[in-house]
Amino acid sequence: MTKRIFRTIFIVAVGVFLASALLFMTVLYDYFSTVGQNQLRAQIDLAAQGVTNEGIEYFDGLEAHNYRITWIGKDGSVLYDSVSNANDMENHFEREEVKEALAKGYGESFRYSATLTERYLYSAKRLPDGTVIRLSIAQNSMLVLTFGMLQPIIIIFAMAIILSAFLASRLSKKIVKPLNELNLDEPLENDGYDELSPLLRRIDTQQQQIRQQKEELNHKQSEFEAVTSGMAEGIILLNPKGTILSINRAASKLFGTDSFVVGEDILSVNRSLALTELLQKAEEGKHAEAVMTFDSGKYQLAASPVTANDEVIGIVVLILDVTEKEKAEQMRREFTANVSHELKTPLHTISGYAELLSNGMVKQEDITAFSKRIYTEAGRMICLVEDIIKLSHLDEGAEDMKQENTDLFVLADHVVTTLMPEAKKTGVAIELHGESAVLCGIPQLLESIVYNLCDNAIKYNRKNGSVSVTVKNEEASVVLSVVDTGIGIPEEHKERIFERFYRVDKSHSKEIGGTGLGLSIVKHAARLHQAEIELQSVVGKGTAVTVKFPKKS
Amino acid sequence: MRSKFDEQLELLHKELIQMGALCEDAIAMAAKALAEGNTMLADKVPDLSAEIDQKERDIEAMCMKLLLQQQPVAKDLRVISSALKMVTDMERIGDNSGDIADIVTMANITASDNTVHIQDMARATIKMVTDSIDAFVKKDTELANAVIAYDDVVDECFDEIKTDLIKQFGAPESNGEKVLDLLMIAKYFERMADHAAEIAKWVLFSITGNKVG
Repeated sequence: MTKRIFRTIFIVAVGVFLASALLFMTVLYDYFSTVGQNQLRAQIDLAAQGVTNEGIEYFDGLEAHNYRITWIGKDGSVLYDSVSNANDMENHFEREEVKEALAKGYGESFRYSATLTERYLYSAKRLPDGTVIRLSIAQNSMLVLTFGMLQPIIIIFAMAIILSAFLASRLSKKIVKPLNELNLDEPLENDGYDELSPLLRRIDTQQQQIRQQKEELNHKQSEFEAVTSGMAEGIILLNPKGTILSINRAASKLFGTDSFVVGEDILSVNRSLALTELLQKAEEGKHAEAVMTFDSGKYQLAASPVTANDEVIGIVVLILDVTEKEKAEQMRREFTANVSHELKTPLHTISGYAELLSNGMVKQEDITAFSKRIYTEAGRMICLVEDIIKLSHLDEGAEDMKQENTDLFVLADHVVTTLMPEAKKTGVAIELHGESAVLCGIPQLLESIVYNLCDNAIKYNRKNGSVSVTVKNEEASVVLSVVDTGIGIPEEHKERIFERFYRVDKSHSKEIGGTGLGLSIVKHAARLHQAEIELQSVVGKGTAVTVKFPKKS
Repeated sequence: MRSKFDEQLELLHKELIQMGALCEDAIAMAAKALAEGNTMLADKVPDLSAEIDQKERDIEAMCMKLLLQQQPVAKDLRVISSALKMVTDMERIGDNSGDIADIVTMANITASDNTVHIQDMARATIKMVTDSIDAFVKKDTELANAVIAYDDVVDECFDEIKTDLIKQFGAPESNGEKVLDLLMIAKYFERMADHAAEIAKWVLFSITGNKVG
């Protein structure tokens, strides 16, 4: 700014100076030339008079200091010269002023010296006798004049530079000062230059726009955060270099960090190779998924690249809790394996014996035994299929079954009576205690609850063990408890024994029999009655199952 | 120019974290193979170990280049020189994991041979390695000091195992090879713990400029 102002001022100053100098010099030079010429004319008239009157003697007393006087004869030969010897001088007939004087009576001309430093003004007059008197004076030429003025010119230039620099710095400071003092936060409050008001107005509107956009952005950001922080799934936004741009609450909780990791590298949060590989794939523009195990369970991580113009500009990582899903998946797989196994075993037996029979390879006396085996196995299968049907019926909600007031004690009594022979066979004493307890429920299902519990209590008992069935009324519920002195259930299996086909001891299931569905049916039937099941068991000592049915009002 | 240097330092940091993660994987895998007597899993450890070696060479080359081209001073110099030392320790951890896996591959040791002590020692060593890398990642001096202190726990484990093994050696039906293998494994774990402590010391050095021990 200062530099430009300086340059402008300097150029103007120098320009004005040069122009005025040129003007003065030409005008003055012209003026002085004219003055010189007029003087010359006056002098020559005097000299002509003198020569005419006195002849050659005129020159004797003449003292010519600042001019040169020459007397030229008719033929152009020099008769007298005030500077040089007349005899040494050449013929002057051809000189312009002489020629002119001879022709017109008076002539003038000017010539420059060989070095151009001087200018000679000549003036000639014809005398009555036909000779010519010539006067000449020397003037400094313009060049010499200019040269002589060089020093003051340089001084003036230097002064111009100093002055313009000073003025320029002052001026620019003065111009810039109000600009620097502009309050850009309140553009319209300024009273600097009027010329600036369009700019200030523009700034004002733009500032308003920026403020608005910022607010919108903040709003959107908080909206996004509100949405993502409430999510159970974890979300992490990364730039392609792996720097965290955003991480929601679920994700930071999972990785054991806080929201301050925004701006840091994902590696500093989790450096597992699975995640690194996942992000690498996403960085290459591919969608990638992986299941990772954290302390709190299994999580599925899906990384997808965010692209714009075929370029990856970010990565979104979505984290889903798949612990339950994996568990359910495993249960489903186990169920399928179990159900096929349970169905296959009796079928193999049946088909094997039936094949032997049909080939006629069985002795007559064995046929009965073989048929009996086929019969039992078929019976087992029927039991199994019935149980499965019952279970799926319960799954559906058993809506076609009617609820009615039932006395649980009577039901239990019936079951105990039915199971008595079985118990006697295995050497287990079974007894029923308690009182009549009426509740509203589905009799068939209640019976299967009691039956299955008692059946298990007898089956998984030891020799000379006992089973005690109790039915009693409580304030708001009817409680059924089946306590045995059997083998007990190890801690790690307690949670799973109500699963379909789950068996604690898989290797001996065949000997003990049963379908593996009993407790599952109990669980579902109890759920239909909103009953709670409580299981207490000590390995080697026995098991106590308590079912609490709520009394319906 | 400076910003490029910063970028390079960042990259170095990332590479070191990745190398640390590889070490964690290697030792965890070796320990798992040992616990389960799983030779299949043990076979995979040397691959990881080789990968760690490659990473070490990469990081070394990177550090050399940084030292030559950028002539770092003060903290930058500390970070780079400690990186150069740390990769050596990490590489040794990778090697020792490979060595343990080798012993497991020979199938002298079955899952049942793992005494509680060996399991404890493996867990303690893995904790030390993980914590030392964590201290580096988070630039956490407290954690680094904790790692250095924890080395004593592992040393104690080693002594207990040694006493155990001496007893086993004295028993008439002892299998000498197995006892020696277990001793070697325990020694490798002890070495890895030392390396982890060394990493923690370098972490401290890169942060504070004071080298402990």
